[in-house]
Amino acid sequence: MAQGKSVLITGCGIISAIGNGKQEVLDALLSNRTGIGPLKYLKTQHTEFPVGEVKMSDSEMEQAMGIKPGTPTTRTALMGMIALHEALAEAGLDRSDLPRVAFVNGTTVGGMDKSEQYYTDFIENDTRNEYIKTHDCGSCSEMTAGRFGRFRYITTISTACSSAANAIELGADMIRAGEADIVVAGGSECITKFHLNGFNSLMILDHGQCRPFDAERAGLNLGEGAAYLVLESAESAARRGAKAVALLSGYGNACDAFHQTASSPDGEGAFQAMSKALADAGLKPSDIDYINAHGTGTPNNDVSESQAMKRLFGEQLPPVSSTKSLTGHTTSASGSVEAVICILALQNGFVPVNYAWANPMEDGIIPNMELKPSRKLRHILCNSFGFGGNDSSLVLTLADQAV
Amino acid sequence: MTQDKSIKVLSAKQISIQKPLSEEWMDSPETYQESYVKAVDPDFKQFISAGDARRLGKLLKRALATSLSVLQEGGITNPDAIVTGTGFGSVENTELFLDAMVREGEQMLKPTQFMQSTHNTASSLIGINTHSHGYNSTYTQKGLSFDSALYDAWLQFRLGKINSALVGGHDEMTPVFAGFMRKAGHVKDGEICSEAAVSVLLSSQPDAPALCTLEGLKLLNEPEPAELADAIRSITGGNVPSAIMTGMSGNSENDSWYGFLRDLLPGVPLLRYKHLFGVNFSSSAIGFYAVACCIKKGIIPACLALDGAPVKTDQGILIVNAVEGRHYSISLLKPICGGL
Repeated sequence: MAQGKSVLITGCGIISAIGNGKQEVLDALLSNRTGIGPLKYLKTQHTEFPVGEVKMSDSEMEQAMGIKPGTPTTRTALMGMIALHEALAEAGLDRSDLPRVAFVNGTTVGGMDKSEQYYTDFIENDTRNEYIKTHDCGSCSEMTAGRFGRFRYITTISTACSSAANAIELGADMIRAGEADIVVAGGSECITKFHLNGFNSLMILDHGQCRPFDAERAGLNLGEGAAYLVLESAESAARRGAKAVALLSGYGNACDAFHQTASSPDGEGAFQAMSKALADAGLKPSDIDYINAHGTGTPNNDVSESQAMKRLFGEQLPPVSSTKSLTGHTTSASGSVEAVICILALQNGFVPVNYAWANPMEDGIIPNMELKPSRKLRHILCNSFGFGGNDSSLVLTLADQAV
Repeated sequence: MTQDKSIKVLSAKQISIQKPLSEEWMDSPETYQESYVKAVDPDFKQFISAGDARRLGKLLKRALATSLSVLQEGGITNPDAIVTGTGFGSVENTELFLDAMVREGEQMLKPTQFMQSTHNTASSLIGINTHSHGYNSTYTQKGLSFDSALYDAWLQFRLGKINSALVGGHDEMTPVFAGFMRKAGHVKDGEICSEAAVSVLLSSQPDAPALCTLEGLKLLNEPEPAELADAIRSITGGNVPSAIMTGMSGNSENDSWYGFLRDLLPGVPLLRYKHLFGVNFSSSAIGFYAVACCIKKGIIPACLALDGAPVKTDQGILIVNAVEGRHYSISLLKPICGGL
C-alpha cells in the first residue's frame, strides 16, 4: 500500500475517569493514578464491578456547558460537548468557522442511558417522547455538535470499540481527498446499564481492578469518556496560523473476519490493521517508539493482540502499554481517548505505564511498567479493536517531525 | 491525490415490503393500507445454513441474503470494502435485551441478544461469511445512514484504496420501535412505517458489466439554499438530469423539503418511492436501488413518477434525500454509455 499524506492535528480535547481536560489527564498519567473505582453515578444492581466513571453528574455537566435544566440531554452527548469544547478552543475555531468544518463522531450506546431509564414511559405514555428522539446514535452527534453551531457535515460511526478510531480515519480520508479542510473526529460513550449487563452476560468483566497483559487478568473494567481531534490540512492550518499539536501520519482498518465477539488466536485483523497503518505512514516497525495497545484485560484480546504485535515487530518490539487500567475501557470513545493520551505522551516525552500489571502471561508481551519522563518519542502506534473483529490502528507523530 | 476513475454500480438488491430480491414492483407493485408493514422475506435457505437461520436476527439474515446476491451477480467474492448504514441497528435484539432488563431485572440476560444488538454486526457478519479482511465500517445517522456509508466507500475509491465495495442500508422494525418511530416524528402521518435491506455492489473495474455509474455524491448538514444549489450544480456539471428521485411520501411537511427543486431545475420530472416502499432509516438505500435498476432498464416506470408518466433515464437521475429538512444527500447516477 502506498504512503498517504500526513494530516495535522491542530487541537484536541478529552474527558475521562482520569480527568476533565488534557491537563488533569496528563497529571494522572504522570502520577500513574487510576480512575477506576466503585460505581457512583450509574444506577445498577451490579455494584460489584469497578468502573472508570467520569467524576461529574449529568447536571454538573449540563451546568458546565451552560445548558438550561430540563433540556433533554444524554450523558454521552454531554461528555462529548465538554471534550469538543476543549478541542475547538485549542484549535482556535469558533462558531463562524464551523460551517466549513465536518464532525465525525463515534458512538454505539447513543442515548441508551435515557432509554433504559424511560423505556416504560416510551411504551405506555407520551411523557418522555423527547428522549425517544435522542435514543439513536445520530441524534447524539447532532446534539453534541449543535451546542457549538452549524457544522457542514455530521455523521456517526458505530463499529463498537473501534468507533472513534474509525471516525478519525474517515476524517483524515476526507481531508486527503480534498473533501474538507478541517474535520473534528473522535467519539463519546457513557456507561449504561445496557452494555454493563451485556459485557457481564459475556462474562468479560473483571470483579477487581483490570490487569491488561497480566497472567491473572480476568476481564475488563468499563470506563466512559469522550475525546476529539481537530484534523486539518497543512494548507488550511497555514492560512489560519494554526499550530499542529501532533500529526496523524498513518492509519489502517482491517477486519479480523473471525467471530462477532472473539478475536482470532493469531490476531490476523490486528496484524493487518497495524501493518496498513505503518505502510500508510511510510514507517518501518523499528520507527515506532511506543505502542498504546488496545489491551482490554480480557483473556482473549490480550493473547490475540500480543501475537499480532510479536508477528509485526519481532525482536524490535517497542515499549507497550494499555492505559485501560487507568481509564477503564471507554468502548466507542477509546480510539480518541487513547489518541489524546498518545498526543500527551509525544508532547511531554513519556511512556505511560500499564497500571496494575504484575505477572507475565505465557507467550505474551511484557508491558512498560516504568514511567520514563524525558524520553524522546517520535512515532506512536495506537490500537483500537472492536466487536466483529473491527480492527483499527493510528500512527501519531511528533509535530515537529519531518515525515 | 484523488482518482477520477468511474465508479460503477454492478448490482443492487432489496428485501422490503415489495417482492424480495426482485424488480417485479416496477410493473406490479404491492400496495398497502396499513400504517406498519413488515418486509416480505425470501426463502433464506439458499443463502444461510439452517443453524444461522435460527441464530441470526432478521436484519442480519436480510443483510447477508442481499449481500451474497449482489456479490454473486457482480462476480466478486471478497469485496475490498464492506460499509453498512443502519439507523437503529438490530432493534429486535436490542428490544429483547432492554425489555428483559427493565422488566425482569439485571440477572439472566442473554449474551446473544447483546451481541446482535450492536450496530456493526451486519458488516462483521458479511466479513466473516466472505472471509474479507479489508476495510470494514458502519454508519448510523438516521435517514442518512446509507448515504454516509456510500460516501465513505466513494472516498475510498477516490483515494485509490479500493477497487470494489459492498455498501448496505439495513433497518428492521418491531411493533414497539415502529411506535417509537412515530412518537419521535421519524415516520409521519400518511407514511407507512416499514423495513428495508438493500445491498449495492460498486466497482472501479472498467470492463465490468453494470447497472449504471455513480457520478458524484455530496452530503450537507443544514445547508443554506445557495449551498444546496451549488452542490447540485457541481454534481450535475450544470447539465439537466432526466429526472430527480426525491423522498416525497405524501406527507406535506416532508414533501415541502423538496419544493426548492421545482425552482432550481424547473420542468425536470420529480420521482418518488416511499409510497411503495414505506419509510424507515434505510429508505434512502431503496431510492438509490430503485434508480440504479430503472437506469439499467432505460425507463422510469409510471408508478415512481409524481405525475404518473414514465420518464427516460438517458441524462441520468439526480437523487435528493432530505432528512428533517436539515440534512441532505445529493447523488447522481448515469447510464453506462454516459449521457447520450
